Amino acid sequence: MTVDRRESLRTFGAFVAGAAAPGQPTSSGGPQTGLLAPVLELVNATEFESMARLVLPPARYQTISGGHRRSFDKMTFRQRLMVYAMDLDLTTELFGYEMFAPIIVGPVANQGDLHADGELGTARGAAAAKAIMVATSESSHPIDQIVSASGEPVWSQVYAASGRAGDDAARAVAAGCKALCVTIGVSPDGAPIATNWDAVQQLTLAVNVPVVVKGIMSVGDARTALERGADGLVVSNHGGVVGGHSALPVDVLPAVADAVNGQVPILVDGSFRRGTDVLKGLALGATAVMVARPPMWGLAAYGAEGVQTVVEILQTELARNMAMSGRPTISMIDRELVRFDKW
Amino acid sequence: MGKAEHAWRRGFSRRQAIAGLGSFLAASPLLHAQRDPWPLGSHRRFMGFDEIRDVFDFEPLFRANVPLSTYDYSAHGTESEFTLYRNRDAFDWVQLVGGGGVAPAAVDTSTELFGHAMPSPIMLAPTSRQRDLHPDGELGMYRAATTTATTMIVSNASSFPYTRIAEEADGPLWYQRYATRELDPNREALDAGQEAGAQTIVVTIDQQATLYERDLHVRHLGGRPREVTRRTRPNPPNPYRVGAGRLWYEWKLFDDLKPMCQVPMLAKGILTGEGAKKCLEHGVDGIIVSNHGGRSLDYGPSTLEVLEEVVDAVGDQIPVIIDSGFRRGTDVLKALALGADAVCLGRASRWGLGAFGEPGAQKVIEMINAELRQAMASVGAATLADINRTMVKTNFP
Ligand SMILES: Cc1cc2nc3c(=O)[nH]c(=O)nc-3n(C[C@H](O)[C@H](O)[C@H](O)COP(=O)(O)O)c2cc1C
Repeated sequence: MTVDRRESLRTFGAFVAGAAAPGQPTSSGGPQTGLLAPVLELVNATEFESMARLVLPPARYQTISGGHRRSFDKMTFRQRLMVYAMDLDLTTELFGYEMFAPIIVGPVANQGDLHADGELGTARGAAAAKAIMVATSESSHPIDQIVSASGEPVWSQVYAASGRAGDDAARAVAAGCKALCVTIGVSPDGAPIATNWDAVQQLTLAVNVPVVVKGIMSVGDARTALERGADGLVVSNHGGVVGGHSALPVDVLPAVADAVNGQVPILVDGSFRRGTDVLKGLALGATAVMVARPPMWGLAAYGAEGVQTVVEILQTELARNMAMSGRPTISMIDRELVRFDKW
Repeated sequence: MGKAEHAWRRGFSRRQAIAGLGSFLAASPLLHAQRDPWPLGSHRRFMGFDEIRDVFDFEPLFRANVPLSTYDYSAHGTESEFTLYRNRDAFDWVQLVGGGGVAPAAVDTSTELFGHAMPSPIMLAPTSRQRDLHPDGELGMYRAATTTATTMIVSNASSFPYTRIAEEADGPLWYQRYATRELDPNREALDAGQEAGAQTIVVTIDQQATLYERDLHVRHLGGRPREVTRRTRPNPPNPYRVGAGRLWYEWKLFDDLKPMCQVPMLAKGILTGEGAKKCLEHGVDGIIVSNHGGRSLDYGPSTLEVLEEVVDAVGDQIPVIIDSGFRRGTDVLKALALGADAVCLGRASRWGLGAFGEPGAQKVIEMINAELRQAMASVGAATLADINRTMVKTNFP
């Protein structure tokens, strides 16, 4: 067989582009952005994970890699067939704001060491995908800059256990943050700690924006948070980094949703990687799903455009699966859609 | 050389991609030496036609023969491919029990569907673009089907027009349709198909918004590049970048198509008892329980685990056929025991055609039929009427 020069170059180019995925060890140790596939060629969120691995030092990559599929793999869909879906609509309201889609970019600390643009890149990317972003008190950029980099609502996240939570919250609200997310159960450096509910309550009283309490992993937590004035809950175990919970947030979500019974909106996070995962979260009672690691993979590898693309891919997958399952609007998504494996 | 062969030979294979890389490297002054691309330990000998022992043996041969883009399009499922794998897992959740006492030679697999006698309940599922697999495409598949008296369902997206395929041989053909929103194109296509002898019309309902990710992957590997529709070409009119071509599907479609069908009208892609009941309400004459071989909604159920629900919903009113994941005679027997009237082979038939053309497709059909007879003999069923629910134990999750 003969192959002409042009053809051999073309195939070689294709080969190199394909070679990025397995993650070649690099000799220089620095980011090998030349190996990255063009962002438009990536087809799902997890492909961004392998791109992030190419550009990050292994120790930093560790902190944003991985996830747990087990719970999602125990749920299948019972679709409703042949439902007209031309007016597919993902918009849903949260604290008086109409979200384009119920997917929120969750809080991740110190994004400056994932990409030079740090939180500013995330803010631009999330806004381009019309998604709310949650900025952390441990940001690489001041909160007012993050808010002005975004055209969409930015929320601020603080640690209940942090001595400067009140100041951080006040600064964030002054900078224009539309809601405050108070993290419980974990200290700013990631260690599991008992919740000081008085501190939580003080924060709910101190700000004039809605306060969501993040880190709910039981019905008891949920009830207490409501008593202490929470305007919303985030069912979360901080990406599975805290404590010995074997359950994933999506496992405890239905019970929390039942207990809360619509009094406040419930969000959820923890290993959501696919539109099908998000659809399960919504079906089990969440108003919206937070994704944290996937947009960080996008940020690390491609900056704002990566964040945007990851979020858009998830939105599109969700939309497609809503149409395919016969639930073309958010309000049509019900628990009947999800069936749990018995074993 | 015919046009078909020409297109097939020009298709860009993985072997060519690697050879292209090799020749580039060989000519490059930057490199001193070339290495054998694969470690010796991974060299494998391909099986010859007479050495094939079961249908799975065709798969690597098919894979080696076709461009990677064709392989990817054929093999993969949607998104995480959870349902693709669950289809196969499901056969492990059903055990065959009982019997013996029947000699394989004494087993009779004949049956009847819509008044047409069939020597076996095994049929060929409609799968698209078979000329990508072999220059003979659907013509070869149909000849193999005719030789074995197997009913073939011709895909709406076939490489040759239905009317051309129908001229090639004289076995039973069904015609599968992806409906268009405007009724006239449906009428024209259905008229032509029925005129050319289609015994039934199969309307596929499960592809409202499907996207095969692997089609995008293959562009890295020298496959036929496809346009990236995501972001660059939002398909109006929704802002979520979902192809809107089939989002208009509604049950009413069957009311519209019914008057165009002088032959039985089937719905393909039913996965719930509720959906089966809707079929009855809308004049559907037969159901194909299918998740498109793991190519519709990911994380949907395997077809085997929902079969009984569908069968219970329709009772004896209309036939229930099943596909998705069937590769062996025992797979077929399990579905028959759970109430299916017939089983369709999708990928299995494509592997045969892709590996050896018409003789390969024929061999796939013959092997699964022989396995079915063997399996019926071992559970003690001499005819399809002897097969019943007590011959299986299920433990679906
Ligand atoms: C490559 C490929 C193409 C297909 N094309 C069609 C089609 O054009 N029309 C249709 O109704 N189903 C189509 N199907 C679905 C099959 O009819 C059938 O439902 C499925 O292949 C059965 O699963 P199996 O491949 O595991 O046997 C296609 C499936 C594959 C794998």
